[in-house]
Amino acid sequence: MTSSHSTPDSASRQARLIIIGAGFAGLGLGMRLRQRGDTDFLVLERAADVGGTWRDNDYPGCACDVPSHLYSFSFRPNPNWSRVFSPGPEIQQYLRECARESGLLPHIRFGTDMLAARWQAERRRWLIETQHGDFEAEVLITATGHLADERLPEVPGLESFTGEVFHSARWNHQAELKGKRIGVVGSGASAIQVVPQMAEVASELVVFQRSAAYVIPRADRAYTAAEQRLFARDPECMHALRSEFFWNGEYNFAQRRNVPRYLQEAKDLALGHLARQVSDPVLRQKLTPDYEVGCKRLLISNDYFPALSRPNVTLEASALARVEGSQGVAANGASHTLDVLVLATGFEATRPPFAKRVFGSAGHSLDAQWDQGMQAFDSIAVNGFPNLFILNGPNTGLGHNSVVYIIEAQVDYLLEALDHMRQQQIAVLEADAQAEDAYMDALHQRSQGTVWLAGGCKSWYVDPRSGRLTLVWPDYAHAFRDANGHFHPEGYHPTPATPST
Amino acid sequence: MSLALQPSGAVEIDGARVPYYDAGPHDSGRLPLLLIHGTAGNTNSHLGYLFPMLAYRQRVIALDLSPAPGQEQAELTVEDLVAQVMAVARQLLGPNQGFALMGYSLGAVVAAATAGLHPERVQQLVLVAGWIKTDTQQQLRNHVWRTLRQTVGEAEVLRDYMAFCAFSPAFMQARSLTDMQAAASAIPLSPWVDRQMALNSRVDITALVERIRATTLVIACSDDQMVPRHHSQALFGAIEDARYLELASGHAVVFERPAELFHAIDQFTRAPTAHAAGTRIPATRP
Repeated sequence: MTSSHSTPDSASRQARLIIIGAGFAGLGLGMRLRQRGDTDFLVLERAADVGGTWRDNDYPGCACDVPSHLYSFSFRPNPNWSRVFSPGPEIQQYLRECARESGLLPHIRFGTDMLAARWQAERRRWLIETQHGDFEAEVLITATGHLADERLPEVPGLESFTGEVFHSARWNHQAELKGKRIGVVGSGASAIQVVPQMAEVASELVVFQRSAAYVIPRADRAYTAAEQRLFARDPECMHALRSEFFWNGEYNFAQRRNVPRYLQEAKDLALGHLARQVSDPVLRQKLTPDYEVGCKRLLISNDYFPALSRPNVTLEASALARVEGSQGVAANGASHTLDVLVLATGFEATRPPFAKRVFGSAGHSLDAQWDQGMQAFDSIAVNGFPNLFILNGPNTGLGHNSVVYIIEAQVDYLLEALDHMRQQQIAVLEADAQAEDAYMDALHQRSQGTVWLAGGCKSWYVDPRSGRLTLVWPDYAHAFRDANGHFHPEGYHPTPATPST
Repeated sequence: MSLALQPSGAVEIDGARVPYYDAGPHDSGRLPLLLIHGTAGNTNSHLGYLFPMLAYRQRVIALDLSPAPGQEQAELTVEDLVAQVMAVARQLLGPNQGFALMGYSLGAVVAAATAGLHPERVQQLVLVAGWIKTDTQQQLRNHVWRTLRQTVGEAEVLRDYMAFCAFSPAFMQARSLTDMQAAASAIPLSPWVDRQMALNSRVDITALVERIRATTLVIACSDDQMVPRHHSQALFGAIEDARYLELASGHAVVFERPAELFHAIDQFTRAPTAHAAGTRIPATRP
């Protein structure tokens, strides 16, 4: 470590940059900052560990739907991934190693929750209130992710449930599951990973499915020790594999773009998988989606359908409508006695809770400003919120590729913005309102006709208030980097730094 | 809902009926882009991915190179195919409008020849796995193909051989023999394909390539056994305003890396001179 790689004082309460969250986005930015010798930053993390969604989602069976050699930092490849799709704890371990190796840990204030962040125009600083006192920064970067705050279903009587109830991302590891009657609410990405695990231990398992998911085969396998050693010895092989995964993922954007031939290809793959794995025509019918493939997240699993075919498992093709004591009652009227209820109901994605805590120059919250849905110039900055940059915010999700790639593009953008401020002696950057609207209108145009808007489903990609696609980037991932991998000063109002007198 | 692209019309030229496809916005600020498929292909098979996706960016026109009835025995020339391209261009773009031209494989030979013969029309050029002059390695492969064709006709082994030549070892490594043979079985064989293969054995457009003035992107495939990358390097050297990009793929790049190929073409037609003439463009490292 050179002396330029100093770390902040443990009592330090101010920094040029404060980053909220130590998941993939916050760590990626922190690593890049340290790599280039920038040490004037702090990371506020509400939990006791790094990892974000990979720390929170420690439910049995958790894994990623993107191949690990792609779902990792390009600047920190890992030759030791155990599988094509490595299990969740391995990803969490990777992020811990990234944080430790890069010297990030002294920058991170664990157990420190951003309660409110307020722009102080006269001081040109963000004031960040936490339960451990206030922090101050010139630039605030939220890196809170799309999958940070669990969404709980509004089920009447849920509080009357006599058994154990918890969300999949807040797993109760003390709860006894063996031999219990377990209900799983949901049929999304978390549910299809939890269900096969629960089917193994439960005496009876009931799955409450509001709508069926398209599921395609998971081309998973373990890497051999020889392959791992080759990756370490010849990193080009790892890069070649990463490129192959990336471009194979990009290919699938044609499905989301709603090109008939590729839509049919995906549908055939999913329905063929269903037909091969489920022989019972009644169950198969319940598992056949009624919307276009890709409108909701396309899932990958080899063990979900077989789990549903087990004699101890019941699929209710119906939402959980209410709870009465120990009874879970489906919308179709079926009632099941349950000991444990797992809510695999996803996350607050289109209306992120962090936005209720960030207050801009007019005094209102970002959530209030976003009363018709999230929006940001270049998917990163918002008019009225000077010196705020949002990583993995509006229109940065993908339905077909690795979000880590998007995060890296946004980090590149942000580093250029910071350099620009320094070089041009700019104290404050604020996105121009017209530039922001024009960006959003262009995205809305791009979204037209995509399967997310035209696919006839209700998904977490679309804001119900506006009907606009606010979560997903409606194009190729490479097009995001082409559009937003470099800072665009022309979209901002700069305020010069006051000359020192 | 049809899964295949449907022609928007057809032109008659030298006795051949040439279907064309025309889609995408006219106000994109880019030149109209004409696409030419390769040997044993057509718009649907070789350009089934690129055509609809590029049409979200700009106006795209494609054509199905076609034989004239009654001329099944005639020797096919590059100029015959250039005439089909220009007939479609005249029909859709009139006699003067400039356009961008992309060709793949034999289509790249046709595209380069078109650009050499009509430098005033072809202002931008993308040559994917193209070549200037058939060389010994290609003649030997072509000889093996022709001998198989004469001895086994349409037997499976001929298509297997074509797939073996078309796809990269890395692509095949990730698939089973059954998968590859299934892909091979879709390769069409016909007297028209025979004529294209005969043309492939004797291409020499050296004089025409010297006359190319278009802003050009040459795309090579690193593991191409049918048109090894030294042919693309030769084009890179021969064309004055050329830049060069190599993709990790076999000859069948339209199947192996369609999205990466899309990206390369889309970036080029958006900003053709973003890389100066003579630049070897580094491959994207995601």
